[in-house]
Amino acid sequence: MAQSADSSQEISRILQEWSDGGDDATNKLMPLVYDELRRQAARFIRRERDGHSMQTTGLVHEAYLKLVDQRSVNWQNRAHFYGIAAQAMKRILVDHAKARHREKRGGVAENLPLDEARFAVSNEKSVDLVELDEALTRLANLDARQARLVELKFFAGMSIDEIAEILQISPATIKREWNSAKAWLHSEISK
Amino acid sequence: MDSERWQKIKDLFDAALQIEPTERAKFLDTSCADDFELREEVQKLIDSFDDAESFIEGNAAVEAASLMLELNQTLQKGHQFAHYEIQKQIGTGGMGQVYLADDTKLDRQVAIKILNPEFSQHDSNLQRFIREAKAASSLNHPNILVIHEIGAAGDTNYIVSEYVEGKTLRDVIAHSQLKLFEILDISIQISSALVAAHRANIVHRDIKPENVIVRPDGYIKVLDFGLAKLLIPRSAGLEASTVKHNETAKGIILGTVNYMSPEQAKAERVDERTDIFSLGVVIYELVAGRTPFRGASMSETFANLINIEPQPLARYAASVPEELDRIVTKSLRKDKEDRYQSIKDLNADLKELRESLEFDRRLERSEPYVNKEETAILQPATTSTNQDTDEARIDTTSTLLRRRPFTVIALSVLLISLLAAGYFFLMQKSGASQIGARRSLAVLPFINLSQDPNAEYLSDGITESVINNLSQLSGLKVMSRNSAFRFKSDQSDVKRIALQLGVESLVTGDIKQLGDKLIINVRLINADDESQIWGNQYVRNSTDVLRTQGEIATAVAQNLRLKLTNTDAERLTKRYTDNAEAWEFYQRGRFLIFKLMPAEVQQGNAYFQKAIDIDPSYALAYAGLSAGYRSLALGSEINPAANIPKSKAAAEKAIELDSSLSDAYTALAISLFWGDWDWSGAEVQFKRALELNPNDVNAHMFYAHLLSNVGRHDEALAEARRARELDPLLPFLGALEGQFLFHAGRLDEALERLQRTFELAPNFWMPHLFASAVYFEKGMFEEAIVEAEKASQLSPTITIPLAYKSSALAKVGRTEEARADLNKLLAMSQDRTIPPSTFAQIYYSVGETDKALDWLEKAYAERDPKMTFLKVGPYWNPMRSEPRFIELMRKMNF
Repeated sequence: MAQSADSSQEISRILQEWSDGGDDATNKLMPLVYDELRRQAARFIRRERDGHSMQTTGLVHEAYLKLVDQRSVNWQNRAHFYGIAAQAMKRILVDHAKARHREKRGGVAENLPLDEARFAVSNEKSVDLVELDEALTRLANLDARQARLVELKFFAGMSIDEIAEILQISPATIKREWNSAKAWLHSEISK
Repeated sequence: MDSERWQKIKDLFDAALQIEPTERAKFLDTSCADDFELREEVQKLIDSFDDAESFIEGNAAVEAASLMLELNQTLQKGHQFAHYEIQKQIGTGGMGQVYLADDTKLDRQVAIKILNPEFSQHDSNLQRFIREAKAASSLNHPNILVIHEIGAAGDTNYIVSEYVEGKTLRDVIAHSQLKLFEILDISIQISSALVAAHRANIVHRDIKPENVIVRPDGYIKVLDFGLAKLLIPRSAGLEASTVKHNETAKGIILGTVNYMSPEQAKAERVDERTDIFSLGVVIYELVAGRTPFRGASMSETFANLINIEPQPLARYAASVPEELDRIVTKSLRKDKEDRYQSIKDLNADLKELRESLEFDRRLERSEPYVNKEETAILQPATTSTNQDTDEARIDTTSTLLRRRPFTVIALSVLLISLLAAGYFFLMQKSGASQIGARRSLAVLPFINLSQDPNAEYLSDGITESVINNLSQLSGLKVMSRNSAFRFKSDQSDVKRIALQLGVESLVTGDIKQLGDKLIINVRLINADDESQIWGNQYVRNSTDVLRTQGEIATAVAQNLRLKLTNTDAERLTKRYTDNAEAWEFYQRGRFLIFKLMPAEVQQGNAYFQKAIDIDPSYALAYAGLSAGYRSLALGSEINPAANIPKSKAAAEKAIELDSSLSDAYTALAISLFWGDWDWSGAEVQFKRALELNPNDVNAHMFYAHLLSNVGRHDEALAEARRARELDPLLPFLGALEGQFLFHAGRLDEALERLQRTFELAPNFWMPHLFASAVYFEKGMFEEAIVEAEKASQLSPTITIPLAYKSSALAKVGRTEEARADLNKLLAMSQDRTIPPSTFAQIYYSVGETDKALDWLEKAYAERDPKMTFLKVGPYWNPMRSEPRFIELMRKMNF
């Protein structure tokens, strides 16, 4: 499609710009990434409904393959792209949770069948996404890379190995970083 | 804490995790040395890590994906989409977002659902959904949302439907507690929608409060037929893994799970009985304030659905009638074979319950010592989530269905009331009407949007046919053509129009002719809040115009939620001719005779004749012809002796062709009254006409005239009032009512009524003529002269104002002028008929009583219609003792 070829070049250019020190690259990139993610999300959910399960990572990968001209982008740019995608996904979830909080305060959401302001994957402790987001911001002040790691893993659904590959860091290091980030976030939220 | 410090803590934490937990304390002692704070931080992190377990180990990507589809694609006001312009977002659902939009092509408001991009155009599920949605919509049932269009723009699919103002049932129950009667009303309407759908083999599959819109007036629309097929994954089931898998569509499914039938949950084949179950859940929730199987999680809900019997409704609402509990329990049977087998049965049971409660409530009300306050609110035991522990709090305040001891005196009062209530109840069951007062409606003239102004007969004609068909219903008061047509040029202020006409609802429409196609838009509007109850567009071949009128009338009646009998249904679609061309000629005729000018009336009669030539069995055209001749004879004084018999013959022919046509009996009655002076014969025919069509304004009006002329004044005024209810703005009627009051000797009231008619129709001669007569009787001769002159100016063809004027002139000594008028009339009588009674009146006023009696006898011999006033016209009073006058009265059966 002509459109995606255009946006592919555009994104590659912005990513390039970013590595050259362009400041607003992230702002420019976000809506493009978001759009593509949404398109992929549609495909993803459709497939899921038809009974073909698909790795969640696929979502971001597909968006990346679609959007970025791989030949012209180096690994830092690629890591940056994934970072932006993870942030996009974080943003949508956190905004939604905030809206739910507001409704709850307004008394509207009292009868929600499940508490949608909190998020829980099966067999997992539920987490308040707004709190998590605030804690992540504090973590980013201590260690920006760890905060990004959490975004990639939790919000973009990537595995340790995938993240290692993207960030060009050994899986063992990622695993270590993950453990301390998770422990720290947990203690922050349980405060 | 700063980054450096964090780095240190992190390193120690990493290291500590590498060693056995038992060794950690020793390790930290050594590593942290004197920095107790550091040691504490690391220890806290380790504890937290042990605690954290699965914390953020899953991922939120899927959830984010679902949300992305739902959110952030809100279209802004003004956004153009196909030929729609977005106004505002009005909702969001599992499938997409819903907007209020303007249809710029057809200039109407619509609701557009923009489907989430996950629904691809090529999706076979979507295609199937589209087919079902279209099929359901085409049922044209008042409780089913009308879908106008399903289309695609680019890669976005959208569904355009009628726009219904209101709240979802979900919103309604979130904010208010419904009364028992409201619950029944809502349930009956939902089940009625399902009856229609099931009859067409369409299963809804997703009945829940979110899919029901409640209009402010309590009117219900069921949405999204067939949609569930798209939303509920094929694998919906009980196993934990499946439930987990379904997390994908979590937001979508959650709302639905509580209303699923067991067979749906087990992913078995479903049929229409799944809707019966889901409706049972909805009714249960409306009464109890909670759904019957709700669990803390989706899997628990599934398990309850399969294994647990719901709590009896009485547990949540003490006052709930046992019968309702039985109905709900029967709907909620887990095995579909044990449930209601047909939605029709459920619908019938609900209706029967409502009727018997209604009956009981009347009894209750008629009981004098009972607190009459309506406290029939079913209060859910509690609104909090811990209903299970709160069971003691059960409503005991309701008086509904509770008997109280009463005294002997009360008993006799009760018995009388009981009889009355029983009678009322029977009447209600047998009649076509809806509980309570008769509903009222006005059909405003449809606007002619065609370039050709000559096509106006078409828009007028369709309007009139719709009025005719609807006015056959006894349960509905329909404003007559005349009142409605007053608003032909300006229909902008719907509320004001409804107020003036005294109706609850209005029908408006427009018609455009494109080649051989007719595009007819019809809207039914609730006058109270100007909201649209229903609207539809009919695109038809011109040749189908006749059938379309019946369709429109039927749709309007259904959307007013009138109970219709089979006879009603027939009457609504009754066509008086099957020939479109004949109908067209008829409509052209009607259009002309309503202009009330002789030349046009004659032209109109020619059209009726053409219609009859094409379709000799066209009874209505004969009735039209009868009205045309009558108009010439009475309204224009043109050759009454010849035209009244023609009018009668046409009426008789009409009856011969269609013995159920009220217009025909009215026409016959009028001829018997004005032409044959057969008072009792005319009365019989008027009554017959009113039996056939209680909304026939002409019948009420001329029957009142008959009653007035024979001196039954009170009956006449009552009958006139009935006509006025149907046609409050008809100047003719206002004038006649003034005249009836005049005949009854109530002169001031007569003047008041006539005054109002002047305002209504400043250019109408008749009220001025009658006012002249009233002033004369009051001795206000100058005023009488002025009013008579006004009448003459406004209608030069009629001569009777000259008679009134002469009487007054003579009284004030201007006898010469009266004589001059007399001579003028005598000269005129060479060229045209002048009623002999006019001469009689003038001769009397100038003092020539014998000549006056001569002319009266001549009037009798020539069957002058004005002779019908002989008994009650006070202007004859001075002659009443004359033997010749007495003889005339006798010959006229007075």
